[in-house]
Amino acid sequence: MARIELVDVSLRDGNQSLWGATGLSTAHCLEAAPLLDRVGFRALDFTSSTHMGVAVRTFRENPWERIRLVRAAMPNTALQFITTGFRFISWQTSDAEFMRLVYRRLVANGLTRFAVIDPMHDMDALLECARMIRAEGGTEIVAGLTYTVSAIHDDAFYAACARRLAASPDVDRLYVKDPAGLLSPERVRTLIPAVQAAIGRMPLEIHSHCTIGLGSLTALAAADLGVAALHVAVEPLGNGTSLPAATRMVANLRELGFSVDIDDRALALAGGFLTRLARAEGLPAGLPQEFDAAFLRHQIPGGVVTTMQRQLKELKLAERWPAVIEEVERVRAELGYPIMVTPFPQMVCTQALFNVIGRERYANVPDEIVRYVAGRFGRPTRPVDPHILERILARPRAAELMNEPPPPTLEELRRRFGAGVHDEELLLRAVMPAAQVDAMLTAGPARRRYNPELAPVLALLRGLSCRVVPDELVVDKPGFRLALRRAACRDS
Amino acid sequence: MIIRRLFVANRGEIAVRILRTARRLGIETVLGASDADLDSVPARLADRCQRLGTAPAAKSYLDIHSVVGAARAAGADALHPGYGFLSENAALARACQAAGILFVGPEAQTLDAVGDKLSARRHALAAGVPVVPGGEAESLEEALTAARRTGWPILIKAVGGGGGRGLRRVDEPADLQAQLELAITEAHAAFGDPRVYIERFVADSRHVEVQILGDGHDVVHLGTRDCSVQRRFQKLIEEAPAPLLAAPLALRLAGAGLAIARQLHYRGAGTVEFLVDRDRDAFYFLEVNARIQVEHPVTEMVTKLDLVAEQLAVAAGVGLRNSQAQVEVRGHAIECRINAEDVARDFRPSPGRITRAVFPAGRGIRVDTHVEAGSVVGPFYDSLLAKIIVHAETRAAAVERMRGALAACRIDGIKVSTALHARILADPEFCRGGVDTGYLGRLLAPAAA
Repeated sequence: MARIELVDVSLRDGNQSLWGATGLSTAHCLEAAPLLDRVGFRALDFTSSTHMGVAVRTFRENPWERIRLVRAAMPNTALQFITTGFRFISWQTSDAEFMRLVYRRLVANGLTRFAVIDPMHDMDALLECARMIRAEGGTEIVAGLTYTVSAIHDDAFYAACARRLAASPDVDRLYVKDPAGLLSPERVRTLIPAVQAAIGRMPLEIHSHCTIGLGSLTALAAADLGVAALHVAVEPLGNGTSLPAATRMVANLRELGFSVDIDDRALALAGGFLTRLARAEGLPAGLPQEFDAAFLRHQIPGGVVTTMQRQLKELKLAERWPAVIEEVERVRAELGYPIMVTPFPQMVCTQALFNVIGRERYANVPDEIVRYVAGRFGRPTRPVDPHILERILARPRAAELMNEPPPPTLEELRRRFGAGVHDEELLLRAVMPAAQVDAMLTAGPARRRYNPELAPVLALLRGLSCRVVPDELVVDKPGFRLALRRAACRDS
Repeated sequence: MIIRRLFVANRGEIAVRILRTARRLGIETVLGASDADLDSVPARLADRCQRLGTAPAAKSYLDIHSVVGAARAAGADALHPGYGFLSENAALARACQAAGILFVGPEAQTLDAVGDKLSARRHALAAGVPVVPGGEAESLEEALTAARRTGWPILIKAVGGGGGRGLRRVDEPADLQAQLELAITEAHAAFGDPRVYIERFVADSRHVEVQILGDGHDVVHLGTRDCSVQRRFQKLIEEAPAPLLAAPLALRLAGAGLAIARQLHYRGAGTVEFLVDRDRDAFYFLEVNARIQVEHPVTEMVTKLDLVAEQLAVAAGVGLRNSQAQVEVRGHAIECRINAEDVARDFRPSPGRITRAVFPAGRGIRVDTHVEAGSVVGPFYDSLLAKIIVHAETRAAAVERMRGALAACRIDGIKVSTALHARILADPEFCRGGVDTGYLGRLLAPAAA
C-alpha cells in the first residue's frame, strides 16, 4: 500500500485564504498547537512575513515570541516559513545581510522548514535565497514551482525549472504550488510526470487551492502519480479558497488504497477546536466551492479576494466587485502576466481597484507598480505593455522612485535604531511604523490561553461593564446560575 | 514519543487538574478510581474510568499492582501519579517501566534518593547546601548524642516520611525516650520503614520552597513559594513569590534548589523545601518533594506556565522548553486550601453531602476543585475540597482580591475552613507578609483558650 504524507496549512495559508491572515492570535495558535502536533502531519505551514506583520499590527503581539511558544507547544512537527525571497513584512525588497538576519532569527526560534518561491520563476534568485537559508540553518528547503495558466507556462517550462532546482544541494524537496487553484486533474496528469522525470528521486509535494472546486480532485490525481505529500487544511480552515479539508482527504486517500499515518482522534480534536474558535470569533468556515470558469481568467488567490471584498465593502462599493475582477484581468495582461502570488495579486488588484474607482485608468498608480514596471522586482515573464510602461514612467513620482536609494544595510539600521536594540526588534522596526512596534512592546507578553466556550461569556461581561447596570445581575436557568455582583475590587 | 493515552492514578482536585491539561493537549484520559469515586467529578471528566478497588486507599490508590494493572488494561502509554498516594513511590515508577508505561515523574533512583530523608540530606550536603543540624537516631543513645549537638527542642522525623507527616516535636531530654519509641512505631506503621532521625527545631522560621523543573540534563527554577501558614505541619495558605524575602536571599535559595536538582540529575517537576531562619538570614534544606505539589498553581499564576504540561513534555522526552532567562515571575499569587474541616472543633474532618457550592470567578481568580452541589465528601481521603488561587500585580492587591474571592465562596452542607482563611487574610500580621511557621498557632491560641 503506497504511503503518503500530509502537510497542514491551517494556521498560515488557511488563515490567510479564509480569514485574511487576521484570524489567529498567539493564544489561538497555542491552543491549536498541541492538538495539531498529535495528528502526524509531516510539517505545518506556520508563518510568513505577512503573518508576522499582522501579529504586530492587528494583535500587538510579538511574532518572534509566537514562533518560540508554538515551537515549544508542538515539538514533534516541523514548522514552515514561506518566503518569496528578499522581502520581509514590507513590500519592498531588503538588503541581503538583513535577510540573512531574518532567516537566522527564524531558525533560532525553531523554524526548520522553508518554502521558497519566486513569482517570476527566476531560478537564480530562488536558488540564491535557498543557499542563504541553508547557510543560516534551514534543514528542509522546499522549492516551489508556482503554477499558472499562460502561453509560456507549459509542462516543459516547469520541467526545466524543476531540473535546475533539483540539481541544487540547497533544495531538499519540490512542491507544485497552485495558489489560485487553477490546476485541473487533467493537467496534473501531464505536469507531474514531466516534473518527476526532471527531478528523479527528489520528493515532490502538491499544494492546490480549492478556489474553483478543483483542489481535492487535483491532489488525489497527484497522489495517484506518486507525489510524496499533499497539502491540506484542518476544518474549518479547509475548502473555500483554502486547501482541501484534511478529514475528507484522509478518508479519500484511504478509500483509494493509500496508507496515511494520521491520528484520526487528534485530527478531530484539532478540527473541533478550530470550529469552536471560528464560531466564537465570528469567522467563516470554508465551504466546498463550485467550478467558476471566469476565474481561470483573473486568477486572484483566496486571501486577496477576501481582503479586496472587505475593502470594497468598507468603501461602500461592494457592488463594483465584478468590475474590479474584469479590470484585474486587463491590468495583469498589461503588466506582462505576473504570476498571481504574493506580492503581485495585491499589487495588480490595488491597481485594478484604483482604475475602477478613479477618474481614469492609471490616473493613480501605487509606488509598488511603478517599482514593478521599473524592474525592481525582477524581469517580468513577458514585457509590460509599452503604452502603459511609458505612461507610468512618465509620472513625476516614477523619477523619484527610480532615484530611490538602495534598501538600508544592516549597519545603517543598527546606527539608526541604536546598538542596544535586540535583533528581533530591529528587524521589525526596520520594516514597520514605529508606533506599531511601540504598541506591541507596550502591550507586553501575548496571552497564552484561549477558551472558545468562554468567549461569549467574556463578551457579555465586557458589554455589561460598558453600560450602567444594577449592582446585581443574575442569569438563572435550569442547571445554570450566573450571579454578578458589583464588587469594591480595585482593578477587577 | 507522543503521549496519546494518559492514566491518571489519583483522585480529587489534582485528578481534575491533570485531566484538564491532558484534554487541552489532546491526550486521551483514563482515570483510575476507587469504588468511592466512580461518580466523582474527575470520573465524569475523564474519557474513561477504570476501577482500582474498594474505597480504602490501601485497596485502591495505594495498591501498585492494581494501579499498574488498570493502566495496562486501559492501554495507557503514560501514568500521572498526581501528589500523595503513590506519587513518590519508586516501586510504582519501576512497575510502570516494567509494564512499558511512561511514569510522569522523576526516575526511580531519584525517588529512592529523596524518599529516604537521610539520603536526601546527604545529597543536599554534597551539593553544598546547608541542612538543619541533626542526624540519625537509631537508638536512644544516638538520639541523645545528636540532640546534645543540635540543642533543644528537636523534631523526630521518619526517614520514609515527608510532606509534614511523621513528625514529632520533643522539648526536653526527659520526653525523648517515650517520643522516640512512639515515632518508631508510627513510622513503621505509616511508611513501612521504622527508621527515624532528629533535627533541631528552628523556631521563628519560615517555610520557603523552590519549584524546579529538570529534564535530566538541564534544570531551571520557577521561583519561590512561601508556605509558612501551617497547622501541625499542614499548609493552609501558600504564596508566590515568597513575600518580604530579600532579593539576595531569594537568589541563594533558588541557587541551592538548582544545585540539589543538578546533584540529582533531576527529571520532572519537583520542589526543594527550605527552612528560612528569619533572624539569621540563613536557610537549611528540608526535603525534596519529587512530584507536582498541591500549591503548584501559585507558581503557575506568576510564571504563566502549565506545570502539568511541562511534566508531560519532560516525560515524553522533550527537553526543557524554557531557559532560565525565559522564566519570568510576574505579580503575586496566593492560594487558600478550602478543607472539609470543622475549625472550631480542632479541625475535625467534616464529611457529608454538599448541598450548595458557589465558587468565585473573575479576573485573576482561579479555582481548582473536585466538588459541586450534591458531591459527597467521604471519610476515606484527605479533606481538601478546593483551592482558591488569586493573582494580581502586587501582594496587597492579591490579598484584597483573595478577600473578595473568599467572600463570594460558599459551601453549604458540611463545615469548611473558609472563615479561617478570611480571618487570616484580615489579620495585620499576615498582611504585612513573611510570617513564620508558628504564626497560625499563635493566631488560633486565644480562641482555643
